[in-house]
Amino acid sequence: MSEEIGTEEKGKKLEDIRKEAEEKACPVQRTLYFIKEFIEGPMCSKCYPCSLGTGEAKIRLIRISQHLKNVDGADIQVLKRIGLNMIEGSFCKKGKDTGKFILEALANSEGEFRQHLSGICPKKECASLVEYAINPELCIMCGKCSEVCQYGAITGEKKQPYLSGYIPFEIRQKRCTKCGECIAVCPTVAIEVTTIQKEELVGKE
Amino acid sequence: MEKLVKLQIDGIEIKAPAGMNLIDAAERAGIHIPNLCYLKGIKSIGACRLCLVEVEGLKAPVIACNTRVKEGLVVNTKTDKIQEVRKFVIDLILSMHPLDCMTCTKAGVCNLQKYAYDFELKESSFTRKKFGYPVDETNPFIRRDPDYCILCSRCVRVCKEQDTNVLEFMGRGIESKVLTANGRPLQESECTFCGSCVDACPVNALLESDRWRKGREWEYEKVNSTCLLCGNSCDITVSTKDGRIQKINSGAAADSAEKYLCAYGRFGFDSIEAESRLTVPMKRIEGGLQETTWEDALTIVADKLRKAGKEAGFISVAGIENEDALILKKIAKNIVKTKNYDTTISLYGDSESFRNSQKADIDKADLIMLVDLNPSQWDRVLPALDASVRRRVNRGAKLIIINSSDTKIEEVAAVTLKGNVTSGLKGIAKALTGKGLKADKKISAAVKDEEISEDIEKAATLIAEANEPLILSSPSMFEASANIALIKGKVISVGLESNVRGVVLMGLTTEGKTYKEMAGIESGKGQGAKSAVKVLYAVGEAPLQARPEGLEFLIVQNSHLTDLARQADIVLPSATFLEAAGTIVDYMGRLKYLPKVIEPQEESKSHREIFIALAKTMGTKIKLPTEAEVNKAVKVKTKLSFNPFEKREGIDISAAEFIESINASVIKGSRLLWLKEAEKTVSV
Repeated sequence: MSEEIGTEEKGKKLEDIRKEAEEKACPVQRTLYFIKEFIEGPMCSKCYPCSLGTGEAKIRLIRISQHLKNVDGADIQVLKRIGLNMIEGSFCKKGKDTGKFILEALANSEGEFRQHLSGICPKKECASLVEYAINPELCIMCGKCSEVCQYGAITGEKKQPYLSGYIPFEIRQKRCTKCGECIAVCPTVAIEVTTIQKEELVGKE
Repeated sequence: MEKLVKLQIDGIEIKAPAGMNLIDAAERAGIHIPNLCYLKGIKSIGACRLCLVEVEGLKAPVIACNTRVKEGLVVNTKTDKIQEVRKFVIDLILSMHPLDCMTCTKAGVCNLQKYAYDFELKESSFTRKKFGYPVDETNPFIRRDPDYCILCSRCVRVCKEQDTNVLEFMGRGIESKVLTANGRPLQESECTFCGSCVDACPVNALLESDRWRKGREWEYEKVNSTCLLCGNSCDITVSTKDGRIQKINSGAAADSAEKYLCAYGRFGFDSIEAESRLTVPMKRIEGGLQETTWEDALTIVADKLRKAGKEAGFISVAGIENEDALILKKIAKNIVKTKNYDTTISLYGDSESFRNSQKADIDKADLIMLVDLNPSQWDRVLPALDASVRRRVNRGAKLIIINSSDTKIEEVAAVTLKGNVTSGLKGIAKALTGKGLKADKKISAAVKDEEISEDIEKAATLIAEANEPLILSSPSMFEASANIALIKGKVISVGLESNVRGVVLMGLTTEGKTYKEMAGIESGKGQGAKSAVKVLYAVGEAPLQARPEGLEFLIVQNSHLTDLARQADIVLPSATFLEAAGTIVDYMGRLKYLPKVIEPQEESKSHREIFIALAKTMGTKIKLPTEAEVNKAVKVKTKLSFNPFEKREGIDISAAEFIESINASVIKGSRLLWLKEAEKTVSV
């Protein structure tokens, strides 16, 4: 919102962001990533529908991805409204394309969006909605996960052939940030991601 | 006459001048197209998207602020699609806004409030965003509260257009905000406190510091008038409530380059009720000034003047209204029968230059030449001239500077000619004749030996290519500058006081002793010489510190108790320009009318009322001048004629000091004093 609407590109181009976003399987994460990167990068921040609309979209997507208090179908409706108005009202193509991205994500995966309202991320990418756990059947107690964890969230004792009575490896949920580093180093794919089951479904409809 | 085109807006046939944008055109037909960032006269940016309209034949909506009228255009301003975008945008802005209309000073004149009302938005349907930005209220002029800001950038753009460049955007998206450099308070960021941003702000983010609970706009009575504090005579709009002035805004047309008012004009009105304000006549008794009655004071004055006769003298500032000037001359010439009546004009200019100045409109000028002038918003020397010229330049006009010393405004000039001013003008005259422009033989003869430098050639090309060149000259270079205007363009002599042209046209130029002689001013030395008169009658805020030597009797007629008034024998309390109706002729030659905005304080009276009462005391009845009398005096046909390319000598005052000195009481008696102190601190 400075004096002139320009089309100068800063850093990443919209297409780069789209490609990076496509790598995310979860449509909520994908849209959130797109919006965040757009605000940080190519958004010129000059006209209201785009500049203020993306800010609101980001807030709503975070609400959905983290299953924050009172999240419901209205959040999805607001996203639709933002998308539509960005297409209609934005000055430049970047704003309109971002609006389209939001609408397409909703159109293609509205079901998945709605599952988030119940606290479920089917693609298990929304960190707040999943839990990491070590499958004791698969764990060989090599300790690599514990070494790589920056948050000290994995406890256990490395198995040594001459010892018995070792403690199996376990993830302390309160410390786990679901960064995924442990999954990357586990040689036996023993770390599993599961959705947190909610007892009560919050989402309406 | 402008070319009119026909178009249809919301089914109404309207005619609008070619080149006008759709917002202004619709306004003519009584249709309001919503907008927040649009600012008349300044280049559109299309940020708010509220002014989107649908034009038949076009696939997508267009922004009305940046779309020009065209013959046969069919425009719809209220389709469902557009209304939804508008509602969406207002909804989003409301989610970031304090929503405290019930205590907001801008309630009633706030477009955000209006649109929220129109779209039935009691509150935002979006997530409430609270920012809690710090409020800048460390100065007594402008309060900045970024929490109210709707990011329309009007303030940033007006500030940039006049080249003050104090405000700028920081951050992105919803986290944007308007800041000064490094977020410093205004007084530390080269702000001149002109308040243009306050006039531009559509919400409560920028407001006069003292406005809180001093009434909303609908409670005010609004009067258009003219500021008489310096030679720019800016249009003002004064808001009063219960007979007191609450605020003053720029009164110029929204799209004019003259839409500007400096801190003096905007905030100096506190001085009307200052402690130093004179409200009753005073006379000297046993070395001290004591209050007296009008009757007593005028009887003494009448007696002294009658006795002094031709040894009496009148000096006045040139910031008095035409009517005052006319009567002052009558008093001096016809009743006191002295030839000694002069104004401050003779301290800085040749009065003939004001008589011969032409009429011009700076908004039409596509080329401006400043000759021997150094206007500056920062030094408060003709700040409105500086701002208007810079705006014209930013709107595409070209600027030529001719000056022997450095000027700040040359930073935006297309050509700057330094050095000898007369030879610069001669060079331009010669170069112009070389381009086939017709010139008087006398001019050609006077410039034939002049050398033409590359810059002079460039300046002459610009003048030759311009449609309406405007030459603004110092009084001392007026005659030389007028020679250029004889070839092409218009020429104006720019004085330092508001009514220089009017005062001269009313005939208030001495036939006897000059201002300097009467005030005991020696060229280059200041006051100290013996006054040429015995009884001196000083009208207005005289730029004199000391009682002139050798005076038998001194009468000071002013609105405030000045240093000079403290040394007077009689002090007569006069009304300020906001308390007396009258007319002036501004530097551009426009006759401007000043209504009586408020009643004079206590017993103070307008200059002319005092003069009439004085005349009566002296046994002569004079009437208030009629409108016809003033108009007749104003309507003098001017014809430029050739004069040698020479500088008029004898003018040796500092413009900045002079303007400060004639406004000393305004500055000392208002919050402007704070500004002067703050500026001192910063410069140390």
